[in-house]
This record gives sequence, C-alpha cells and structure tokens, in this order.
Amino acid sequence: MIDPDLVSLTITLKLAAVTTFILFLIGTPLAWWLARTRHVAGFLVEPLVALPIVLPPTVLGFYLLILFSPNSGFGKAWASLTGSTLAFTFEGLVIGSVIYSLPFYVQPLQVAFSGVKQDLLDAAATLGAGPVDRFINIVAPVCRSGFVVAGTLAFAHTVGEFGIVLMIGGNISGETRVLSIALFDHVETLEYGRAHLMAAGLLVFSFTLLLIVYTLNRWQTGRSSSLGSGS
Amino acid sequence: MEISADIHLTRHPDFVLDVEMTVQPQGITALYGSSGSGKSTLLRLLAGLERGTRKDRIEITSGKTVWQSEQIFVPPERRGIGFVFQQQQLFPHLSVQGNLDFALSRQHTEQNLEVNQVYDWLNLHSLLDKEISQLSGGEAQRVAIARVLLNGAKCIFMDEPLGSIDSPSRSRILPYLDRLHRNLQIPMVYVSHSYEEITYLADHLFVLDNGKITSQGSMLELCSSIELNSGEGDAAAVVIQCTVAKHDLDYRLSELDFEGANIFVNAEQYQVGDSLRVRIPAKDVSITTTRPGNSSILNILEVQIVSFEENSGPSVLVRLRRNKQFVLARITKKSLNLLDLQPGQTVYAQIKSVALLMESIDD
Repeated sequence: MIDPDLVSLTITLKLAAVTTFILFLIGTPLAWWLARTRHVAGFLVEPLVALPIVLPPTVLGFYLLILFSPNSGFGKAWASLTGSTLAFTFEGLVIGSVIYSLPFYVQPLQVAFSGVKQDLLDAAATLGAGPVDRFINIVAPVCRSGFVVAGTLAFAHTVGEFGIVLMIGGNISGETRVLSIALFDHVETLEYGRAHLMAAGLLVFSFTLLLIVYTLNRWQTGRSSSLGSGS
Repeated sequence: MEISADIHLTRHPDFVLDVEMTVQPQGITALYGSSGSGKSTLLRLLAGLERGTRKDRIEITSGKTVWQSEQIFVPPERRGIGFVFQQQQLFPHLSVQGNLDFALSRQHTEQNLEVNQVYDWLNLHSLLDKEISQLSGGEAQRVAIARVLLNGAKCIFMDEPLGSIDSPSRSRILPYLDRLHRNLQIPMVYVSHSYEEITYLADHLFVLDNGKITSQGSMLELCSSIELNSGEGDAAAVVIQCTVAKHDLDYRLSELDFEGANIFVNAEQYQVGDSLRVRIPAKDVSITTTRPGNSSILNILEVQIVSFEENSGPSVLVRLRRNKQFVLARITKKSLNLLDLQPGQTVYAQIKSVALLMESIDD
C-alpha cells in the first residue's frame, strides 16, 4: 500500500499544476487586458481579481460551496453535464484554486505587461506584425521573467492553500486530501514526526520558490533600468 | 504611393488638427513646426498609430486604397509603411541581427533592396552581432532605419529621428539619411522641429502651426520666403541646389553650376555631376548695382530683385531670384534707399560665405 502522505503530495502537485495551467490560459489575457485597457470596467475588475488576497478563504469557500450545490443553477448544470457534483471532488478544488490563486498570477504579469511600451508594439505593428504576432514574439519574450514569477507564485500559493480546501474539498484521501490538510490531520492525531517532516518540506519548498522569484525580480529590474538608460 | 489626408481632429483641452494634404509620391516631404504644432500627431494618424474618436473626421487614402474613413480603418501592419521613431524602439530581447531578421521575415512587399547594400549604406556590418543595449544612440538609429528598409516599406515615416541623439552623432547620421535620399525611390515623410535638418533633406515642405498648415510647397522655394525667415535674425538663410561641374585641384576648389552661374566651394569629395545643397546665410550676401570688377569675393551672381521685407528695424531681407531658385540678402535700410533698389531690377549678389550642407561619410 502506498504511503497516504505520498498520495497527498501527488494530489497537491497535480492540483497546483492544473491550476497554474488554467491560470496561464485565462489569467494571461486577463492580465493583458487589465494592463492595456482604459475602459471603466478595468476599475471594477481589478479589485475583483485582488479580492482573494484579503478575503478569508472560508468566505470564498462558503460561497463556492453554495454555488456547487445541486440547488444552484451552476451546480445543476454541472450535474446534468457530468453526472456528479463539484463539492468534495478534485474538479471542485481546481475551480476553487483558480479563483483563490488568480491575483497571484494576474498581478505580477499585469505589472510586467504594463512595462511594455506602446511604442515598441507600434514599431512591431509598422513592421507588419499583427496583434497575435506582436504578443507571441515581442510581449511574451520581453515579459518572460514576469511569466515565471506569476506561474511560480500561483503554483506555490495553490500548494499552500488550506481553508478553501477544507470548505469545498473536505478530507477525502486520494481525491481531495492535499498536504496542508494531511499536516493538520497529523497534528490532530499527535503524529508529530510526520507533521515535522511535512511542515519542514513545505517550508523549504516555499522558501526556494520565493528565492527564485525575488532573484528573477531583481534581475529583471536591473535589466530594464539598464535598457531604459540605453534608449 | 501617393497618400492623401483630410483630417479634422479635436484633442482635449483645446487642440484642433485641421489639415488637408497630399504627400508627394517622390522625395522627402517634411512636416515642420514647433512642438505642439500637431506634426507628430498628423504623422501617427497617417501611419494608423492613432485613429481619433468617433467625433473626428479622418479620411486617409493611399492611391485608390482607403486607409481610414468613417467605416474603414486599416491597421498599421497592413498599410505597407515603415516608421522610424525618435526613441529607436529596437526589440531589447533580440540582437541587432535578430531585429533585422524580424523585419525581413515580415516584408510588406517583394524585397527589391539587396541586404548587403542596405548594410553598406548604413555601415552596419560591424554592429550585426551586438546586443541592443551595447549600441550608441546614433548606431541604434542606423539599425532602426535599416530595419525599416529591409521590411520593404512603400513609404517611410520618420518622427524626429534625430531628436534623441546628441548633436555630434546627429551630424554623423544626417549624411546617411542624405545617402538614402539619393539612392532610394521610396518616398519619405519626415517630421522635425529642426529647420537645419529640413534644409538638409527635404524636397517638399509643409509648415504646421497650431494644428494648421500655414505654408506648403517646394523646399527650395519656401526656404527663401521672407515670411519664414523674417523672425530668424542672423540665422536667416537659404538653401540652393547645385551640380558639381568640375574640380580645380590646384586651388582645391570645385565649380558648382547654379542656374547657369558658377559657385566656387571646396567640394572635392563629390563626383562631377553630383547634385548637392549649399547653404547661404542672408547676412553674408550683399548687393551691388553694377558688376564688381576687382573683388576678392569669388561668388558673384547676377540676380533679379523679387521683394523686400516690410519691417521697422534697421535692416531688411531682400529676396533675389536666379531662374527657378532664390537667394536672400540682409542689407541695411539705408543701403536700400541709397541704391534705390526696386523689385524687378537686375543686381549683383556678392556672396561672402558658402557652406556645403553635408560632409560625406568616411567608410
């Protein structure tokens, strides 16, 4: 039989990876739109995206739980489409994590996108590059470290998620029991040895990721200021 | 490619650009004016980098193609134009070669320029492997110009291309632009607030002031207008176009043909037959009513008086014509009255100093 902690580790990594991938797909255009728009809607969407930073995860979890219930329109539609409910499933966790980690992906990327000068894009346009061409060949490479920072933060933040998982995922081994929940269980059952191992592991993991992020940040600001003085 | 524009655009708080113009399909058309005159906005509208709002009336056509009207807006990437920015806007994540390849792989038209020819013109061979951050301002601007040329643009727009470059490098870039002007068939629209740059390069001139075109026409004719020069004081000057007739190696002087007359200047770096521009400051031109016999001044032209400046100061500008070109002289009002000069009268202009507009490039 496989160690249940290893199962939890697998679920955690899978959840973080899937969440980060989905954020890459929907968070990237959202960050681009927020960085470029002068539309009034931007003023509304920006705080909405940032909300999970200040909101207690249990609040978010509570509303998601209500949304997932077969009594809500969304829950009903999902149930008729897939034949199962979202609460207490891995899919439900993914939806919760995407919302919960959204600001950690969108904000650093938005900052990076804002740093791309319109003139640089205009230059690419007059050279014959259309909007998609400009994004892939100018914006993406210029903001490469912004993508790494955003992806790393979103991944790490999903790994560390607790309150929201407890509300909508419960504690089902092999399905929704992630590392932070497993750690909580070990403490509850006084298995301090396993708790230590897990806590230390998460600590080292988080520190390493943040070290990478901040090093990249420093490197990028250093580079962009030298670019600025050169132009 | 002939570009026509009819533009009425309002900007907050109270700037109005109200312009009707046609860009000549050959040569360099300059948009000249002080900052805030609307010349850059006009250029960006022509390029499609700005499009105005629904309240503005903007109609731009290129030949038979409509670029912008009430219903139509062709984005800049499909206008087939090149744009050189004041800050070069080279892509920082690519090398010099990478920037040029970006342009080569997205050509607007079938390339008719040799890549190596463009590198030669702009002296780029030694820069190709460099990173963008290693380039000086002048080098970066040469790369930006090459990028536009290799892109196969049908018309090249330049927005104060020398504005961000310090003045020693500026005088080193100008000859490159002049070289392109001599070698390329592609029309250019050149925005500048520097009268000097305009006189070096332009063939056609639009003068903008506060959103309106105040004068337009051939550069050589307009630059001699009393209106454009009367506020310039000692800087009042004309530019004339000459052809190199022959070189006198003993005296290191070249004989230039100017409307059938001779002008002597040191221009040994040019070939016989080259056409070049010469700048004549109005303060260095004096007038005599009879041909001076024994004078140390070599350059004496028989000219006709066209008009005088009307002003209250002690000196006046006199506009003089020789066939199709003009020269300005600044003389005192007292001389004007003593010599009893009249429009239509034939006189002799003695020119004390003549400056070639451009040094050649040493490469």
